[in-house]
Amino acid sequence: MKPGKKLLLFFLPGIALYLALFVYPTLTGIYYSFTDWDGLSPSYRYVGLDNYAGLTEHIVFRKAVGNNLKFMLAVVIAQTAVSLVLALQLARGGKGAAALRALYFVPTILSSVSVGFIWTFLYDPSLGAINGLLNAAGLSHWTQNWLGNVRFAIFAVAAAQAWAHIGQMVILFVAGLQAIPSELVEAAKLDGGNRWQVFARVTWPLLAPAAALVVSYTTIQSFKAFDLVFTMTNGGPAYSTEILSTFIYSAAFANYTFGLASAASVFFLALVSLITFLQFRVLRADRVSY
Amino acid sequence: MNKIGRLNVFAFILATLLLLSACGSNTGGNGGNAAADASPGSASPAQGGSSGEASAGDKVKISFIHWRGEDAEAFDSIIQKFEQEHPNIQVETQVFPSEQYQTVAQAKLSDGSVGDVFASFPGAQFEALAKAGLYTDLSGESFLANFTDTLIEAGQKDGKQLAIPYQLVYNIPIYNADIFERYGLTPPKDWDGFLAMAEKLKSEGLIPIAFPGADIGPGQFMNPMVMNNAPDPDIFVKLEAGEAKLTDEWWVKTLSQFKELNDKGYFQPNALGTKDQGAGALFVQEKAAILATGSYQLAQNKKSNPNLKQKLLAPITVPADQAVYEGIHTTTFMLGVNAKSKHPEEAKAFIEFLSRKDIAGEYANATGQNVTVKDVEYSTEELKTVAEWTTKKTRFQPRFTIKNGEVQKAVTNSIQAVLGGQSPEDAAKEAQAIVDQQLGK
Repeated sequence: MKPGKKLLLFFLPGIALYLALFVYPTLTGIYYSFTDWDGLSPSYRYVGLDNYAGLTEHIVFRKAVGNNLKFMLAVVIAQTAVSLVLALQLARGGKGAAALRALYFVPTILSSVSVGFIWTFLYDPSLGAINGLLNAAGLSHWTQNWLGNVRFAIFAVAAAQAWAHIGQMVILFVAGLQAIPSELVEAAKLDGGNRWQVFARVTWPLLAPAAALVVSYTTIQSFKAFDLVFTMTNGGPAYSTEILSTFIYSAAFANYTFGLASAASVFFLALVSLITFLQFRVLRADRVSY
Repeated sequence: MNKIGRLNVFAFILATLLLLSACGSNTGGNGGNAAADASPGSASPAQGGSSGEASAGDKVKISFIHWRGEDAEAFDSIIQKFEQEHPNIQVETQVFPSEQYQTVAQAKLSDGSVGDVFASFPGAQFEALAKAGLYTDLSGESFLANFTDTLIEAGQKDGKQLAIPYQLVYNIPIYNADIFERYGLTPPKDWDGFLAMAEKLKSEGLIPIAFPGADIGPGQFMNPMVMNNAPDPDIFVKLEAGEAKLTDEWWVKTLSQFKELNDKGYFQPNALGTKDQGAGALFVQEKAAILATGSYQLAQNKKSNPNLKQKLLAPITVPADQAVYEGIHTTTFMLGVNAKSKHPEEAKAFIEFLSRKDIAGEYANATGQNVTVKDVEYSTEELKTVAEWTTKKTRFQPRFTIKNGEVQKAVTNSIQAVLGGQSPEDAAKEAQAIVDQQLGK
């Protein structure tokens, strides 16, 4: 056997696991999306596209899609902007940069459930630290019933989601910044560019691949935020934080409409794929060259 | 887009495939475990493993699965006694946190790998498990005579006794009897009296009602609030049959009364942001006079504040002469024998053991939960308080008569919508739209 073919054998266990644990269940999920299986019964009927047609009219599903898009936008904007600022600060180096990098990363190692509990407590309208700090600062009129307000709840959860993952994104941006040749930045400075011009004309365009990665990863994370939402609000109050993943969970395990849940999952896949594709197109991550 | 760019997009699409697999993972009908990591960990983790197969030697191993981690110690002691009496049977218990019970455990039931004896909730879960044919028919078993007939009806379907509710709960608010005595208050007999009582408590600087509006509150408090507004025990059955509507007077009135309690400040501030533990803390700390949950919380409250003197009351939302019911009861923790069990006789022997009044008494007194078994002697003040309610005219929890989970959620969410500022009429209309959609399926 040629050495190249031998090397291919090393891929087999991984590919087999991937096929067994992901591809097969995924295809099974797609199959069930064309059935009326309840998740428990030994039998089910083939219903064609009924589940997909049902989704288009489903009031709660539509709310979930709308909320998820709001949630995604809030998380992507907050997480990308804050992590970029922190990464730029870290990239300058200096004393304490390593310690700060570790500090920013700490929330990332916490489980989503822990993050949910921490933020639920922080948001508590009576005992929580956020309202407490606002009161102490004389800003009582800014205090809110953060998770109990149907207008704010989704953004309150989005803030918790962003906090939990900013550390990861900082690492990606720092790696991107470190990959930018220093002579390009120096040349721009020698040409008289101020800080903003250097950032806008040199750093940011060259950071596009990292930014695309951050934005795409953040987008996917915001769609996968099931455990955080489930812990903090369970989709409430009054559906105001119902997102696609909580809708799928309820449809499958509380309402016993597994076929519908599978159809929603397929929609989920298509939506995330489309958004990710568009983000890559817009950010033109593939056109960077030095 | 160059090759690397396309590869990146492809990699992200593959990553999203992982999300799909959460719903697609299927081993013999298993629905996946997307929520498995989402458990808040309220119960102890799943312990051990069990196959339901006969083990080494002559011992038959049966699996018992449930979600009540807090009862594990009581069950361990009872199982020890059972095994002494039945040396050929070994009971292996697996306790799943309640969210995992909805996902992993009930799927495992369907292949018979666990749960020779299993617990289930009344309502949607019971209906789904019954439809899947997972219950053994227990009709005619002699141990049924050990239970109060009317309290095991929730486990019946199509004339068969498929499951046996073991716990008896009253889903009506708990009140601090000392506070009531201090201010000369007694449980009101009508809505005006209820409002006057709440006003008096408020004027004394207390929170009249601690209401966990963020999670369990709407699903609990709606029951006594609606029981006399719609005295028909089949009102939600009719709702699901399209013969009643949430926009009808009975539900709009119920929502209006919720709004009234909220607007007049009889709930704690920001009730919609308060979870179960937060509301419980207000009551235990005696800042609130009433806790709008249910009798299942009495033992926990007493543990947190041994000085508490607690009793139960239900809001009567109509004039006294129109009140049909005094309260709400639920029979839950429904024990069933898995239709796929290889050891159904041993499983039934275990349920028979649990149905004995001394064993049921041991369970009740150790866990603080009342039971559906007859003639049990309760030892604690709280259990005796609850037992007094068995002679009152109560109604089975209306929420659990809703078979469709989406309808149930629409009903409870309409309460949250009203507390969030929507008008009762609009909230009822939106909820009815969801109900209509479910009916049209």
